[in-house]
Amino acid sequence: MKLRLPGAGLLEGLAVTGRNMVESFYKKERMTTVQYPEERAPISPNFRNFPFLVYDGDAKTGLRCTACSICEKECPPQCIYIVLDRDENGKSLKRPKVFDIDLSVCMNCGICSEVCPFDSIYMDGEYELSTDDRFGGLLFGLDRLAKSAEYHMKLRPEQASEVMARRKADEEKKAAAAAAKAAKAKADAESKAKAAAEAKTEEKGESA
Amino acid sequence: MIALLILTPLILFAALGAVWKARPVHAALLLALSLALNAVLYLVMGADFIGLVQFMVYVGAVAVLIVFSLLITRPGDEAEELARRPRSVLPGIACVLPVLAVLVFTVSKVTVPESGSTASISLETLGKALFTTHAPAVLALAVLLTAVMIGAALFAREPAKKPQNPSDS
Amino acid sequence: MNLSAIPSATPSLFSPELLPRLPQRLVEIILQSIGAPEWLVSIAGFGVAAGTVVGVFAGAFALLSLIERKTLARVQNRIGPNRAGWFGILQPVADGIKMLTKEDIVPAKAEKLLHLLAPILIVLPSILALGVIPYGREWTPVPLELGLLFFFAVGSMTELSIFIAGWASGSKFPMLGAMRAISQMVSYELPLMIAGLGVIMVSGTLSLPRIVELQSGFHLGFIPAWNICTPWGLVAGLLFYICSIAEANRCPFDLPEGESEIVAGHMTEYSGFKYALFFMGEYLGLFAISGLGITLFLGGWQAPFPGLDFVPSWFWFFGKLALVIFSFLWIRATYPRVRIDQLMRFAWLCMIPMALLTLPAAGIWTLLNRGGHGLLAWLVTVPLLLVPWVIIAVIFNRRLAPATRTYRFADS
Repeated sequence: MKLRLPGAGLLEGLAVTGRNMVESFYKKERMTTVQYPEERAPISPNFRNFPFLVYDGDAKTGLRCTACSICEKECPPQCIYIVLDRDENGKSLKRPKVFDIDLSVCMNCGICSEVCPFDSIYMDGEYELSTDDRFGGLLFGLDRLAKSAEYHMKLRPEQASEVMARRKADEEKKAAAAAAKAAKAKADAESKAKAAAEAKTEEKGESA
Repeated sequence: MIALLILTPLILFAALGAVWKARPVHAALLLALSLALNAVLYLVMGADFIGLVQFMVYVGAVAVLIVFSLLITRPGDEAEELARRPRSVLPGIACVLPVLAVLVFTVSKVTVPESGSTASISLETLGKALFTTHAPAVLALAVLLTAVMIGAALFAREPAKKPQNPSDS
Repeated sequence: MNLSAIPSATPSLFSPELLPRLPQRLVEIILQSIGAPEWLVSIAGFGVAAGTVVGVFAGAFALLSLIERKTLARVQNRIGPNRAGWFGILQPVADGIKMLTKEDIVPAKAEKLLHLLAPILIVLPSILALGVIPYGREWTPVPLELGLLFFFAVGSMTELSIFIAGWASGSKFPMLGAMRAISQMVSYELPLMIAGLGVIMVSGTLSLPRIVELQSGFHLGFIPAWNICTPWGLVAGLLFYICSIAEANRCPFDLPEGESEIVAGHMTEYSGFKYALFFMGEYLGLFAISGLGITLFLGGWQAPFPGLDFVPSWFWFFGKLALVIFSFLWIRATYPRVRIDQLMRFAWLCMIPMALLTLPAAGIWTLLNRGGHGLLAWLVTVPLLLVPWVIIAVIFNRRLAPATRTYRFADS
């Protein structure tokens, strides 16, 4: 049995807490307190709060959302309200006129961003949303929801860069397909013109 | 004199309340109050040591003991207590009157010193008297108290258990 | 009672030594100059003295609540309250406002009169006890001949007050908490008084200013002649220290008010200002009993080094008080709470034998020193105290060490 002075453990405990007390004044890594209104703790990349809409470039014309209403239908607590923008003939303009999310209903599940086929709705990370207006202050419209793609990149770099890469690849593929089609159409037109020119000379040759 | 006139009725009321009240805890607390007022009486009369010791022993120890035993033995409820009281107060008076007569007789035989001076015995004389002249009484009291303590400890002890293996339960 | 707290002649009214006396002297001088009768002057003087003591210690209580939170926070690697005012200095004010404006809830089954009376009865002994401690050379608010006995007498009133607080609430948690608190306080009051008994025996008096005066002087030129610098005094002082933690219901002995055990014990059903009074009573009691410990063992207002006469004596007292209270805070931050059975076992099986041993040790020490055998005094008293302590400690360690666990179903 190890021989220890009775009470030695108590004194060791006092030494540990004493060291904590003294070192907390000059060692920065001990004090993990974040003084809230002046500093903010960094949020993790997986933190999600409520959704936001992404636009490329301009908020009015670059909005990726086409008001397909898939997120409205998939939302479990039904907190999204979308009205499609139509022109005077009733043809859809493929953008939302009204896009409202009720923050007091939204449960931050992220299903809307999972099902969106146009990469236009993602989960935001803002948490300082206190307001004294219980109804109007928590109903976010298009003006408050639309945020730029650069914001998305800053918020979730990994997700945003993956989305941008995918969109760029898609665009390139589309451009290549369009170019191929254009080339094919041009080739078709050229061959058709050549065939017409040949038919014409043949006709001329026969009549002469 | 004024202090005496104020204190005595208060002590009487507290003592009467201690006897009269139905709920035991109230009675115990009123008893403590009467004992504390007694201590104040001693202090007013100039017996500092006795007054403070009365306070310390009676209010600090005896009253706490009474109250503790009340808590532990958990007396029955109020209606039961009230029902157990005797109907009339005559037997009580019959028991009290002789005792009161003896007390009055004894007190009337005591001669009070004429000068109203505070006859204070110094602590040293008190201590010396306690341990030389009255030493047998003090020692007997000590033996009695030790016996009481040992008896209480034995009475309240649980039967000793072997330390069990913690995974055997 | 013979109460003469007014000193007859003062060298200079504004000397730093007599600074605590200043308000009382000023009031007396003013009243005497306008020709007030003698009894009015003395009553007014006493009123001001009492008011000064209560005011100083209530302010110290407020400051202590803040310092405690900040010290505990620093030990736990966080910053304490720092939002209310610069470094949180207004936090006690905020706490006071909160306590005062809270709704006063009295349970329906509570005894109204006793429920109201209990906080007052808890604060009363602490304030009374603060009156007999010598804070400086001329500054004992009420220098009684039987000061120490008065202190213990009013201290013993606290137990009954806690019982009243617990029982008058009329519910189970306060009752249970009050029972535990009373048993704890009664058990730890015994070693407290026996340790104090040794000091009384050696000093030959119950008067606290006299006990402090007897601890003046220095051995070997630099070791102060305080009671704690003797073997029996060290043991008795340590016992007194541990018992004062238990008496004030502080960690690690704060079972009666541990939040994770029984909500708040006897204070559960109190809210608002009554709770603030309980809180204040606890801290004032802490001040009182540490003040007594400093008086009995640490030499009261005596300076620790020779040649420091220009520093006023109350500075040393309050400095020692600050150090003792800081050590209480440190202990609170370090140790876990003890269980009720561990508490009782510690008091009755370890502290009372040690306390009883300090009595013959103190007697032998004093007699041998008066006879001139200084070295023999050390040689006799140190083993007399050390050997039983080691035996008790070893027995405790053997009997209370947890049994080695054997697992029936685990693989080795």
